[in-house]
Amino acid sequence: MAAVTRISALCNRGVKPLFLSKSLLARTLVSSKKTRDPPVLLSAQIHTSPAHYAAGSKAASLHWTGERALSVALLGMIPVAYMYPGPAMDYSLAAALTLHSHWGLGQVLTDYVHGDTAIKASNAGLFALSAVTFAGLCYFNYHDVGICKAVAMLWSL
Amino acid sequence: MALLLRSLVQRSAAVSSGSRCCLLYRHAVAMGTNAKEEMQKFTDKNSRLARPLSPHITIYSWSVPMMMSITHRGTGVGLSAGVAVFAVSALVLPGDFASYLSLIQSLSLGPALICTAKFGLAFPVAFHSFNGIRHLMWDLGKGFRMPEVYRSGYAVIALSVLSAIALAAL
Repeated sequence: MAAVTRISALCNRGVKPLFLSKSLLARTLVSSKKTRDPPVLLSAQIHTSPAHYAAGSKAASLHWTGERALSVALLGMIPVAYMYPGPAMDYSLAAALTLHSHWGLGQVLTDYVHGDTAIKASNAGLFALSAVTFAGLCYFNYHDVGICKAVAMLWSL
Repeated sequence: MALLLRSLVQRSAAVSSGSRCCLLYRHAVAMGTNAKEEMQKFTDKNSRLARPLSPHITIYSWSVPMMMSITHRGTGVGLSAGVAVFAVSALVLPGDFASYLSLIQSLSLGPALICTAKFGLAFPVAFHSFNGIRHLMWDLGKGFRMPEVYRSGYAVIALSVLSAIALAAL
């Protein structure tokens, strides 16, 4: 798909790319004319993203951004948890790990699970698993030593 | 598909920067269905005709980027499973964490096995974290050229192995 980005890079020279900035799929290119001819008779059937013909939701885009933001946050938490272990880091790690894992496994399901009922069932199962995981981690943080201390104890073996 | 894109690129190059690229799509008509519906129709047709799946991972030549990508996914799923098992165990199993640690200690497993186990825990975390940084750089749009992909890939592998060894030695 590097070729697609190249096209928009080419068209960016002085022109605001209306269609090519969104993802599109050119279905049929009618003619195979030589480069010199004016491209007037070319027609194409295209998919347009929802923003072109109706107000679409930004949910997917926001989800993507949220995933990356959470990944950065989780990366930052690792050294901080090492330097400042305690309940604050324990619960932050529990939340960040569970959510990162939930979203990541969600992408795996999206890739490999097909069919309406299968998708619904697997997502429901994932939600249950993530809920139980978060509950378990919070229980461990409250009633037992907590994640940071547990890693330290495990490593001292 | 490649031919299509190439002809598109040639046309874009032919059109001077003063004219609009939308000349290409002057007669464009938006389709009635969206991409998801098209894909669903295609999937349904495949199941209806009971079409066999073409060999892909069994015949395609594996490359380092491919292997690193699936390893990233594998370590992610594995780590998630580990965390989930740990959390469920905390809820379900009797006794506290310290009691299980002393149970492991009583097994007298020997430093070699313990070190290996620590490496086994540390490597997936290290690999997933470093490759995660590589992914985030891609999300910023950097490092997509093939030599860069390979260079960053080898760097991730080296860093993961070295830091896992260092962590296991702690």
